[in-house]
Amino acid sequence: MAFVSFLLRRLGLSVVVFVGVLLLTFIVSRIIPSNPGALYAGARPRPEQVAAIEKKLGLDKPLSEQFHIYVHDLLGGDLGESYHSRRSINADLSIFLPATLELVIAAVLIALVIGIPVGVLAGAYPRGVFDYATRFVAIAGVSVPSFWLALIAQSVFFSQLGWLPLGSRISRDATLFYPIAAQTGFYLIDAAISANWKAWFDALHHLILPALVLSAYPLGVTIRMTQASMLEALSEAYVTAARAAGLPRRVILFKLALKNAIMPALTVVGLSFAYSITGAFLVETIFSWPGVGKYVTEAVLNVDFPVIIAVTLVVTIFYILVNLLVDVIQAFLDPRLRLV
Amino acid sequence: MAILSVQNLHVQFKTPFGAVYALRGIDFELAKGEILGLVGETGCGKSVTGRSILRLLDDNAQVTAGRIAFENSDLLRLPESAMREIRGKRIAMIFQDPATALNPLFTIGQQLADVLRAHAPGAAAARRRQSLDLLASVGLPDPAQTAKVYPHQLSGGQQQRAMIALSLAAKPDVIIADEPTTALDVTIQAQILDLLRRLQRERAISVILITHDLGVVAETCQQVVVLYAGRVVEAGAVAAVFPAPQHPYTQGLLAALPRPGSRGSDLKVIPGNVPSGLERIDGCAFAPRCEHVMNRCRARQPAFTSFSAAHHAACFLHEASVCG
Repeated sequence: MAFVSFLLRRLGLSVVVFVGVLLLTFIVSRIIPSNPGALYAGARPRPEQVAAIEKKLGLDKPLSEQFHIYVHDLLGGDLGESYHSRRSINADLSIFLPATLELVIAAVLIALVIGIPVGVLAGAYPRGVFDYATRFVAIAGVSVPSFWLALIAQSVFFSQLGWLPLGSRISRDATLFYPIAAQTGFYLIDAAISANWKAWFDALHHLILPALVLSAYPLGVTIRMTQASMLEALSEAYVTAARAAGLPRRVILFKLALKNAIMPALTVVGLSFAYSITGAFLVETIFSWPGVGKYVTEAVLNVDFPVIIAVTLVVTIFYILVNLLVDVIQAFLDPRLRLV
Repeated sequence: MAILSVQNLHVQFKTPFGAVYALRGIDFELAKGEILGLVGETGCGKSVTGRSILRLLDDNAQVTAGRIAFENSDLLRLPESAMREIRGKRIAMIFQDPATALNPLFTIGQQLADVLRAHAPGAAAARRRQSLDLLASVGLPDPAQTAKVYPHQLSGGQQQRAMIALSLAAKPDVIIADEPTTALDVTIQAQILDLLRRLQRERAISVILITHDLGVVAETCQQVVVLYAGRVVEAGAVAAVFPAPQHPYTQGLLAALPRPGSRGSDLKVIPGNVPSGLERIDGCAFAPRCEHVMNRCRARQPAFTSFSAAHHAACFLHEASVCG
């Protein structure tokens, strides 16, 4: 019961945040000194052309009415149309968004699967070689710029060793001879559904390097947070009590202490997941990954407002969803949080 | 018959300021089926003694000498794996603040199941039945409901009862209770002490009760060991020590107890402070605060003088009277 009311309250908060971002993006897009009509019309338009386009796009209407139309379209699931390519943004995002999400989810999974056990062990054996080694890796992961790491990774694993491809999501051979039937847009999932294992391995092969590079930051954060909160949890009285009760060390570390230590780590991992969506933009560019990053970079260069706003909103929705998910997981783990 | 005996236990802590001497040679014996009170002021080494027995001291602590005999082994020299078999199953511990000693993210039932699983392999259904029995035996109403709740949903007294149930789970022979009532209301304190006494009687458990409260010792214990600055100053049967304390420190402690009818008059205090653990103490540690202090008290440590089979104290006052 407490859990349901917690969930409802938390959902209500998310709606408030979303409305705030909606307002903000709308206002920013309307007060920026630029001329969307002229952009839409192309090179050297005549004033009457611009006026006609403004009428067509509804830019001549009062702001309140424009906002009404904007919200109405959004609620209907319509993100609008690119000024530049005249393509539907919904259609574009249905191609680019899964590519980015596949990359980001892979990166965060790597960060969690490696970061949490490493953080636990580093916290359990402080001031040892392992502790110092992980501190070094974690701080390097957080501070090394991703574009530099991407270039080094390409130079080592493509140029020197020749183990992994230079970039893109899939090889030309795969697209030509065993194409993936698009369903979700996630190559690994689509290929698995159609049991197209050749393409699946090809897609995985392409995913490894960009995902590893992108995971450096969340990995560093996960290790450091898990380690710090493990150190704290292990100094708590309930850990001494568990030792006094003769519980095995494995249970104390990975069950009793970790469940307490994972809470602050989760918060930060949630934030770094959302952060990775924007962080992916640089990595995507270097690895020619056809994702939202590349899409929005072009939109920015062309001052293509509807695209920029749409991507901003989508990223916001992910921030909200991930944070909601983190809060729900935390409330699930810690009964005390359901009361707040 | 002693079930546990601590002999000449020395413990020090490494700190940035130098070694802190926490225990400077502790000796006592816990008789089977008895409750032994370990009393003294804050910092005298009561809790360190308790934790040394289960080898739960922090990493910077070092046992420099001594023996802790339990059955036929010296606990200080057992390998860690053997120690894990002792903890919980043979010697269990109850902590001062149940609110922090219980894990906040697991239900009471889950915590009991963990201890049972660690020590007695068996079916989950059997563990559940055992858990409910344990919760009932420590006087928690509605064990089935209590097993489902988290520690923060219980009152302080109920938390300590749950903690006691946890310590009983693996049927230990000895329980070390480290200030089990300090964090509780006075009325709840009495209930918890009653519970400890009842369990000790019914299950023939031997208990080391660590406390700073002489009233608790008088009510609950058969034996008392008085610690001062990491040494035993007086020990014996409560029935012998309390009516006729022989060490000036014990006398001071007992005189400092507020008594009914003493309302309005000043409380008696022992002047001065406990010596710092950083000092090396050659003579009697209590000498600087003692009203009977003599020259030799500062030069060397007094030996124990026995007053009866069950009562001895380390003070030169009595050595003098025996030697003439």
